Amino acid sequence: MSMDDLQIEVLLSDVFQPVDPPERFSDRLRDTFSLIRNAAADDLAGWADELTESELNSLKDPRNWVRPVFAVAAGGTATGVLVLVELRRRGRRRRSRLESLISSARSRTGL
Amino acid sequence: MDEPHTDSSPEAPVESKATTDRGFEQLYRDHLRDVYSYACYRVGNHHDAEDLTEQTFLQAYRHYPRARRESDGRPLRPWLIRIAHNLASNYYRDRSRRPQTPLDSIEPPAARHTTESVVEGRAELRAVMAGIDELPEERREALIMRFALGMDNREIARAMGKSDGATKVLLHRSIKQLRERLDEDVDG
Repeated sequence: MSMDDLQIEVLLSDVFQPVDPPERFSDRLRDTFSLIRNAAADDLAGWADELTESELNSLKDPRNWVRPVFAVAAGGTATGVLVLVELRRRGRRRRSRLESLISSARSRTGL
Repeated sequence: MDEPHTDSSPEAPVESKATTDRGFEQLYRDHLRDVYSYACYRVGNHHDAEDLTEQTFLQAYRHYPRARRESDGRPLRPWLIRIAHNLASNYYRDRSRRPQTPLDSIEPPAARHTTESVVEGRAELRAVMAGIDELPEERREALIMRFALGMDNREIARAMGKSDGATKVLLHRSIKQLRERLDEDVDG
């Protein structure tokens, strides 16, 4: 007996049930974003707190633009955190591959 | 999802960092399950799905203020899924991998009651999964978006960078191909 499209759609709904992420993963991801947000906020607050009224006025002069440029570069701390997150992720991936290699070698040698 | 309307005109006031962060946090809360489900069905295992989900949200975070400005109040879920879609495509290109069947780590649910009907139901679902696995990637992906994420044609169109009409045809052909494959199983 051939199936109609509606039957297929019911089966597809059964097959493709939404998948909840593991709780430890959701927590880890939330921590990562807090880290990035805080790093970015610290950069901005640190620079703004140090400025006095006369410094703000002096920023109108292009000769004094070195510091903001430096601050933008330092604002890369948030970017730096993103890089660290990426490095950490790659480290995890390498570790997990290593672990699976070790476990498959163990299962082959029976150790 | 209810995304707040954002005026994208040049005179529109720039949002504060705190507002942007709150908006992103809401987006994350609303769609973590969508992105994770999509990733699971695309890559077929939880480890890579976690990786893909993390990368999707990191990239989304970087471009969120601009996406919000340009969204003109439309929901951002298609944009988020498009990021995941691009990352998943790179994932396969970089590693010359073929998508794994969802069966690898995601067992079909059993919603029937008697033992006999559970076995029958699971066999049916496994046949559907095998059929899905044989579909071209684009058709498979459209089905994931429709059935796992419950996206409508317009959302799928935006996520896949297609027109609404082309998306409707794509979904229709995907279901047709799957039905023909299942009919072959029954007849054969």
